[in-house]
Amino acid sequence: MGERIRLQVARYRPEQESEATFDEYEVPCPKDWVVLDGLNHIKDRIDGTLAYRWSCRMGICGSCGMTVNGEPKLTCATFLADYAPGPVRVEPLRNFPVIRDLVVDIGDFMRKLVKIKPWIVRQAEKPLADGEYLQTPQELEEFKQYSMCINCMLCYAACPIYGLDPKFLGPAAIALAQRYNLDNRDDGAGARMATLSEHEGIWGCTFVGECTQVCPKHVDPAGAIQRYKLSAAVESMKSFFLPRGA
Amino acid sequence: MPHDTYTYDVLIIGAGGAGLRAAIEAANGGASVGLICKSLLGKAHTVMAEGGMAAAMGHNDDRDNWRVHFADTMRGGQYVNNWRMAEIHAKEAPDRVRELEAWGAVLDRTTDGRINQRNFGGHRYPRLAHVGDRTGLELIRTLQDHTIYLGVTVHMEHTVVDLVLDDGRAAGALAYDRERGRFHAFAAKAVILATGGIGRAYKITSNSWEGTGDGHALAYRAGAELIDMEFVQFHPTGMVWPPSVQGLLVTEGVRGEGGILKNSEGRRFMFDDIPDNYKPQTASDPEEGWRYVTGDKSARRPPELLTRDHVARCITHEVKAGRGSPHGGVFLDIAWIREKMPNAEEHIKRKLPSMYHQFKQLADLDITREPMEIGPTTHYIMGGVRVDGDTQMSAVPGLFAAGECASGINGANRLGGNSLSDLIVFGKRAGEFAAAWAREHAAPRLNQAALDRLEQAALEPFERGAEGENPYMVQQDLQETMQALVGIVRTESEMREALERLDGYKARASRVGATGHREYHAGWHTALDLRNLLTVSEAIARSALERQESRGGHFREDFPEKRAELGTVNVMVKQDTGGAMQVSRIPIPPMPDGLKQVIEEQKS
Repeated sequence: MGERIRLQVARYRPEQESEATFDEYEVPCPKDWVVLDGLNHIKDRIDGTLAYRWSCRMGICGSCGMTVNGEPKLTCATFLADYAPGPVRVEPLRNFPVIRDLVVDIGDFMRKLVKIKPWIVRQAEKPLADGEYLQTPQELEEFKQYSMCINCMLCYAACPIYGLDPKFLGPAAIALAQRYNLDNRDDGAGARMATLSEHEGIWGCTFVGECTQVCPKHVDPAGAIQRYKLSAAVESMKSFFLPRGA
Repeated sequence: MPHDTYTYDVLIIGAGGAGLRAAIEAANGGASVGLICKSLLGKAHTVMAEGGMAAAMGHNDDRDNWRVHFADTMRGGQYVNNWRMAEIHAKEAPDRVRELEAWGAVLDRTTDGRINQRNFGGHRYPRLAHVGDRTGLELIRTLQDHTIYLGVTVHMEHTVVDLVLDDGRAAGALAYDRERGRFHAFAAKAVILATGGIGRAYKITSNSWEGTGDGHALAYRAGAELIDMEFVQFHPTGMVWPPSVQGLLVTEGVRGEGGILKNSEGRRFMFDDIPDNYKPQTASDPEEGWRYVTGDKSARRPPELLTRDHVARCITHEVKAGRGSPHGGVFLDIAWIREKMPNAEEHIKRKLPSMYHQFKQLADLDITREPMEIGPTTHYIMGGVRVDGDTQMSAVPGLFAAGECASGINGANRLGGNSLSDLIVFGKRAGEFAAAWAREHAAPRLNQAALDRLEQAALEPFERGAEGENPYMVQQDLQETMQALVGIVRTESEMREALERLDGYKARASRVGATGHREYHAGWHTALDLRNLLTVSEAIARSALERQESRGGHFREDFPEKRAELGTVNVMVKQDTGGAMQVSRIPIPPMPDGLKQVIEEQKS
């Protein structure tokens, strides 16, 4: 463990400071240590008060998103050695209120999530004894990619629109709405339209594409948004040209 | 004084698969429901599950039905399971899967649009409903969204300090929120524990940081009984390096595709120790093993595919003999198949995409070119809160448990795929019966003095401040001890030493300190987790001492065989009035003839 690297970690303790400061720690930097290893080393050995979220260590729970040298990253999948000789700057995800140190408040996202009705909407349920709702592999393929989201919030941190207008629904929520809209078992596209089509819905997006670039699961929220815009535009054209009920 | 008090009909502790499924059922049963979880919603350990949910729907082989699933589960558990739970599980899992599907779960499909089912170890027919290798994520996402849909109140990033009783029955809990470090009282007519496992009692584990045995320990302190605590499942292939991913699972699929195990001398050691009863089904040389994994039906399986417990012990043996890899494991090599196939690199990436990705992303290692370093990892505990098989209620009235923190369905060893189905089958039942209990009982009283005492005790680390010991050091020593002395291969003398050391850690745990404020204070949280880790560690060690035989996940070097007289009992621990841990053997109730018959008919 000869190699070491300096981590500049954002600290924010609301009871004692009005804005974030940086504490610097030196941590080991073997070639296979990720940023999260560095933070765990600090917490376990140097300063047990450092606050951050993590859980699975394998890129599936989406807890450990932070800003590493200016970019939103899952810290369990970001190698320290890639930043040698350092220093590495670790900050909370952007575009969210900071609760403490590296922990952000994602309550806004949780509220938006509910608005897009992330569940199957259907006219009538059938009894379980009648078996499952059929879905061919092709039908599944239509939306499967959008179901890979792990709610890590990197796309919100990267989204310039959300940064300017917090009312914007944001990439993950819209991609999730599309995941349900495109599911052949769902009849809820109409019910979701009001939320998606209002000003802060998809029309807020200027198709910058940062969300897709930072997504660790290749969900492609930008593609989902673009696709919805297109179909929504067609819908609204139809309602303009065709008589009601056609 | 707690900052505030919440009142619910049903309080659920834990928001993995079992907790969420319980919340849905209790809410549907008309109960007001509060759900407490240590992390954010959707991040619980369930999210990491890969393989699938076992349910005998018979889509891929119509010979499958609940009888076969029941018999498979009992055989896997070496017949010390709670047979009633195994029966209910096998019968109800198909409906629970269909229900999840109806709520929107994404599942892989057959060409005609039905739920596709895959093969897995110990299941006679293809039985696991799945979506790729991320079934846990889909399960938790679907349940989470449905929970939100029903309007259940979720208290995220809250940790329960202790349960509170009223005249012997469950009355609620005291918790603190991790964000501010404030205490909150929860009053409830029924409480459901759904806190998952104990992996963090060991140094090497596939479990997330949340697996500190909270539910096990909360129940124990409240007077409930724990059974089968000696049965811990060690998965043979976990990552051993780098440290951040130590213990993470390397799927059995790597060996299924031809991956071989080698020691530091390059020897394929699994051929050196093949149990007699498996010899007829095991390849006699590497060539035959290779033919098996490439689909030759006349060939027998390579020894790398022997049962999980055996492979884990062989690996441990190599490491102890000084033939391990640099980081204390052995080598798992899939890259060697380059000798056998021209397009090996592509083949590996196509068959094992997530493993390729996992090693590339997390260990910066290309598994198509280099061997992996792997070793056994603490994966799952079969033991837990003793519950009624139908209702999931413990010996404490009004206290229920479901999922990994409950015991019974798995016996001495769990089959892969039976855990996710366990969560939805018994989560549902716990929610249903807890809601019914709440309807039939008046609200209990919360004892204010008891709450205040708990709060005072939880704040003690701050009184000691910097004078106190670093809680991580105690946790680390405890994990080392459990790993070394109560791990895969156990003997009486080592476990006695472990118990002695645990006494020492208990003393140290009462002296740990925390400094600064209470907001998001990981050090303080660890100080409080220690109590639970110590309780489950002691329960495992004492139960393992009591079971003087080897069965399923429990292997005694000093008693390497099964003993018939221990095949009819469960080992139980319970706190006595003086606060000491009492160990006893309780007889397994006799199985009804109908179920015995099912087992007999499936033996052929």
